[in-house]
Amino acid sequence: MWKSIKSIISQFLEVYCREFKLVIHDQGLLIFFILLPLAYPIVYSLIYNPEQVRDVKLIVVDHDRSSISRELVRNLDATQEAWVIGYAADLLEARRAMADKKCFGILEIPEGFGRKIGRGEQGNAALFCESSLLLRYRSFLVASTNVSQAMGAELLTQKINTVAPLATTITDGDLMPIEYIPMGNIESGFDSFIMPGVLILILQQSIILAAGMAGGAKREKPELMGYNGVNEAPSVAMTMFGQMLCYATIIFLPVIYLTHYVPLMFSFPMAGDFLEIIAFLLPMCIASVALGFCLQGIVWERESVFVIWVVTSVIFLFLSGLTWPRYAMSPFWHFVSDCVPATWGVEGFIRMNANGASLSQVHNDYIHLWILAGVYLVLAYCVQRWVVRPSLFKGYDAYAEAKRRAI
Amino acid sequence: MKAIFIRSVLQIVRRPIYWLAFFILPLFCFLFLTNLMENGLPIKVPAAMVDKDGSALSRSVTQQLGGMEMVDLVANCNSFTEARHKMQEGEIFGYFFIPEDFQQDLFAGRKPVITFYTNMTYFVPGSLLFKTFKTTALYTKAGIALNVMESVIGATEEEVTPLMLPINIDARAIHNPGMNYAIYLCNSFIPCVLQLMIFLVTCFSLGQELKYGTSVKLLRMANGSIIKALAAKLLPQTIIWLVVAIFMESWLFKINGYPVYGSWFWLTVSEVMYVFACQGLAVFFFGILPSLRLSLSISALLGILSFSIAAFSYPVESMYTSIGIFSWILPIRYNFLIYIDQALDGVHVYYSRIWFVAYIIFMLLPFTILWRIKKEMAKPVYAP
Repeated sequence: MWKSIKSIISQFLEVYCREFKLVIHDQGLLIFFILLPLAYPIVYSLIYNPEQVRDVKLIVVDHDRSSISRELVRNLDATQEAWVIGYAADLLEARRAMADKKCFGILEIPEGFGRKIGRGEQGNAALFCESSLLLRYRSFLVASTNVSQAMGAELLTQKINTVAPLATTITDGDLMPIEYIPMGNIESGFDSFIMPGVLILILQQSIILAAGMAGGAKREKPELMGYNGVNEAPSVAMTMFGQMLCYATIIFLPVIYLTHYVPLMFSFPMAGDFLEIIAFLLPMCIASVALGFCLQGIVWERESVFVIWVVTSVIFLFLSGLTWPRYAMSPFWHFVSDCVPATWGVEGFIRMNANGASLSQVHNDYIHLWILAGVYLVLAYCVQRWVVRPSLFKGYDAYAEAKRRAI
Repeated sequence: MKAIFIRSVLQIVRRPIYWLAFFILPLFCFLFLTNLMENGLPIKVPAAMVDKDGSALSRSVTQQLGGMEMVDLVANCNSFTEARHKMQEGEIFGYFFIPEDFQQDLFAGRKPVITFYTNMTYFVPGSLLFKTFKTTALYTKAGIALNVMESVIGATEEEVTPLMLPINIDARAIHNPGMNYAIYLCNSFIPCVLQLMIFLVTCFSLGQELKYGTSVKLLRMANGSIIKALAAKLLPQTIIWLVVAIFMESWLFKINGYPVYGSWFWLTVSEVMYVFACQGLAVFFFGILPSLRLSLSISALLGILSFSIAAFSYPVESMYTSIGIFSWILPIRYNFLIYIDQALDGVHVYYSRIWFVAYIIFMLLPFTILWRIKKEMAKPVYAP
């Protein structure tokens, strides 16, 4: 009994140390484990760091030239979203400016705009937005809605007396104030929206890429691994366990950096409990390592992981529901996204980190992550047992044979 | 030349990884992205109503809100806290709050406040919900004011309506009136996937020659001419990529019917030049970092960063200048700009002329670094 425990521990330590040595001597693996989680979030966050889309350029075609139309333009210019860069004589000139990318919107005020408002009718103006970027359109939409409402309220109080002097008492000021409160990402910033999710994706991808590359490295040079068909090799489960703990040791600091220090540096929302977040991410990391072990089944050389796996980041980004929410996915894609650890990881992390949910509130995601971890571990075991290990032994035998001949 | 070409074709045919990289992965991404966002907008955002009043008026607001296309009222919460918990648990993306004694306060002129909350950690559903909530609140307000005015002073509806909204600015998105998400995202993300795969495959196939030391043979077959060697080696890939790129164009604009208001001819020219530009830049990367792993690393890094830095969603002019300039070193940026000009906006090709010139610069880039590739290929070293 004691002997078998001792042999298990020694086997485990052997795997752990061997794997550790392999990683720290391999530049490629270190890039995935350390450099990628360290540098990527910084670069990414810097791209979106201004958060808001401010001062989108706008050109005005004013056929009316009344005092109210000028006031409208001044007010639009004064919003933080829009920036009136000038007037154009007609729509043609404005369109030419837009084709030249000098502006991204054209405000056309029709003739008689001011007169209509003066008569107590509705004055209509059109704002044509270049539609290549949603955020620019959104800025224009917010600016125009706010301006038309503010000016409308002002005109209302001015006009109300002429129509019905008595009604002033009711409508003066605001009849029913409307308040809007954005939650989670309180500035509605783009960086604070996309980055927390991307951080989790980066974590998953760097683990899978590293595990995949480690598999390729072993297949290429089995002799480095100490695997050998003659001596007793540690069992598959033991090998997996040792490797997993080794990766956990290495990835531990990057995880803390990703989930705590990056949000701190770029002042992303941080409403969650740090320890609960780490506990939440544990099954995601396990599932990711297991997925990496599965990937080893098709990675025959170290560099293949780039070609095979890098593009999946885009797919996982969309599957996570960050840009296209999950409730709007078709059942098929919904199921596919259920199978990705990062989907649950992103969802849960965002809710804990930005919305201040506790671990018990994200129990649904947490349970799913553990289920995924379990399923992928079983799958990984099968892949390791029946695909990777035989090929390693074969590689080792071929190597030993070549060596014997050379001597 | 011919021998190298055939050798290169055989290399591609024999290795499944090339099949994966040339066809399966890109085609899957095409299908996935377009199919995922088929509906254009993620309508029916799950939301909740917190009606603390329970009056006839507040219930009619609930009914109005429930009838909106964008919203799916999945819950009626009894308190603010309950709704917040539902949001934290991810069941809803926002809620609409009507305070206690709302109707009473309103008619007594005590100005009750209507509040709505959206979860902005999910930008798209949050924004859609914001728009719907705001519209509902405004309509409610206008309706109440209308009622009051009619009953108190007997003004007719025609007289009162313009007073509620005297100025109306109609914001229209040109050529994508419904702000269809698929049109907006697929047209930039799908070519970007293609760029990433071209970068990776080009560097991978060249790096393989160094890794296995076959580059010496390659050079010998080309009689020592690096131009011949590279051209013949990459030509089969170019042909495959051209087919994929043309398929991509027809997939987006013909099969899925995304709008093309400009010239099909220039759009096609753009896709063709795009393939060459991406290959050119990839060869340039390989020349700068002539090692399999390093060139693949830089390809992957820039290929993935392209999705953000080429400004598909967040405009270049809003980025820090020192970051924004990097968008101009990527072929996808020019592909995106030509797409905007030639497909979405439909302007004359004159306005896109500079973007086409940029493509040509990418194609010429490898020539600055050929000497280095030749040197490395003559004496291949593999660094893992």
